[in-house]
Amino acid sequence: MTSRMRGSGAAPGIVTITLVAGTGMVAVVTTSLGLMPLYGEPVLSTDGWRAAAPDLALGIRESLLIAVPATLLSAVVGLLLAGLVLGGGGASRPVRVACLVVLAVPHVVGATAVGQLLSDGGLGARLAGSDGSWPPMVGGPWPAATVLELAWKESAFVALLVVAAVGPGHRQRMEVAAGLGARPWQRATRVLVPTALPAVGAASLVTLVYALGSYEVAALLGRAAPEPLPVLAFRLFGSIELTDRPAAAAAAVTGSVLALVAASPALAALPRLRLLAGDPRGHA
Amino acid sequence: MSGRRGPARLGRGALGALALLWLALPLLPVVVWAFSDRWAFPAVAPQDWGIGGWGAAADAGLPQALLRSLGLGLAVAAVATPLGLMAGRSLGWRLTRWPRLVVAMLLLPLLLPPVAVSMGLDVVLIRLGLPELLAVVLLLVVVAVPYCAYTSAAAYARTPPALEEQARALGASARQARLRVVLPAMRGSIVVAALLAFLVGWSDYVVTLLVGGGRLVTGPVLLGSAAAGSGNDAAVAVTALATVTPPVLLVLLVLGLGRTRRSTATPVGEAS
Repeated sequence: MTSRMRGSGAAPGIVTITLVAGTGMVAVVTTSLGLMPLYGEPVLSTDGWRAAAPDLALGIRESLLIAVPATLLSAVVGLLLAGLVLGGGGASRPVRVACLVVLAVPHVVGATAVGQLLSDGGLGARLAGSDGSWPPMVGGPWPAATVLELAWKESAFVALLVVAAVGPGHRQRMEVAAGLGARPWQRATRVLVPTALPAVGAASLVTLVYALGSYEVAALLGRAAPEPLPVLAFRLFGSIELTDRPAAAAAAVTGSVLALVAASPALAALPRLRLLAGDPRGHA
Repeated sequence: MSGRRGPARLGRGALGALALLWLALPLLPVVVWAFSDRWAFPAVAPQDWGIGGWGAAADAGLPQALLRSLGLGLAVAAVATPLGLMAGRSLGWRLTRWPRLVVAMLLLPLLLPPVAVSMGLDVVLIRLGLPELLAVVLLLVVVAVPYCAYTSAAAYARTPPALEEQARALGASARQARLRVVLPAMRGSIVVAALLAFLVGWSDYVVTLLVGGGRLVTGPVLLGSAAAGSGNDAAVAVTALATVTPPVLLVLLVLGLGRTRRSTATPVGEAS
């Protein structure tokens, strides 16, 4: 590569990200410590953290209660959808197009739609009959609707990522396996699943981190208490009590740390991300 | 042999139907509600079909909200796409000395919860007096840049750097070589990168609501507030349908164009 090709490179994008995300995170941490009050003198204090502490523990539990099942469900369903797309039968193209449509749906629309499907007066309850047997899935004791919305949207994402990663050469691999006597079930479990696992893992990590930080789905479909961390942070931030702001910032910082901890396996694997680092071996 | 294929084909068909049901069912009530004037519980179908919800949604400011979403999406795409392309070029052609650092920095906006960054930025904005709209665009650009960068990094990796070197050797300036030779060769990926950035701007809810202070009412913001408490299911469904249709059509259009271009370029290579 000639030196005159270097140009300005990644610097403008990286500087923008560092400035905006860095400023935002520094400000939210200093707010949580009382150093950026809306009014009055800044005083270093852990009052915000202490005020939020009981809710933080519940918030972490609720965030994980939503994000972990949503991630597992989206991984399993996404892999099945990818198998159908890669299978090349009559369902292949419609399923692929449907995955693209779902991927383009904003989460707030997805949450509204799932609400109209699974709420007490929704289509599901109507189909189940008026005898009150429909479980309280929206705002009920378990965040079922929140989990299902996230799993629905993210399963399409997992499927498309797996198709993109496994698609090249998939047909040849399956033909070789069939030639060696593997039955359809064996081809799926011993060829498709092992080759798709790295992509499923990467997509699941993105899903987990997204679900941990997601606000609108849990806000529209979740129960009033306990709240996942983003909902807790947002509610406290909008509180008329200005003293709630440091507590809101504490909830937001906790959510960020939780997301970074969840993503730490991917960050540890960064040296192996050859595709992103432009190593041609990654594209073989 | 054919006796075994029958049940297998039936099983695959049933799985395909289940998959389509999983993907399409959540959107069904929205479509039905959008064309219902009365759908009292526990009826399975509306008692009165109609378009009353469209008028109610229009009165609530839906057309203006969608125009704001369009403007936000276009602004985010206009800024994030070139920034992402530059980062993608740097990664895809291995022009940077610190690829891991660049990858890690690009991952940051995907890892940090938008609520946290928006909250911190909102506190700073109040002190600086920066216009809310500018701040929303800036924050959404940061979210969109990684998508654009990774999409274009893959495209650059597929495009030989010799293309630019040859253009330069033939007398083109660096700018001409990029604009007239390299970028046209990867226009499909640039369209996808711009589409992703547009979708980030169009679809955003929490950043627009938090940093925009509730004054920047886009389609998703209007929908969020209607879904949380209007009680008018038909108007909510219309707002949802109107908010989801443009991005879906755009994705299908880009997909369609991509397929057409591929099939025109390599008529034999298209998988059945």
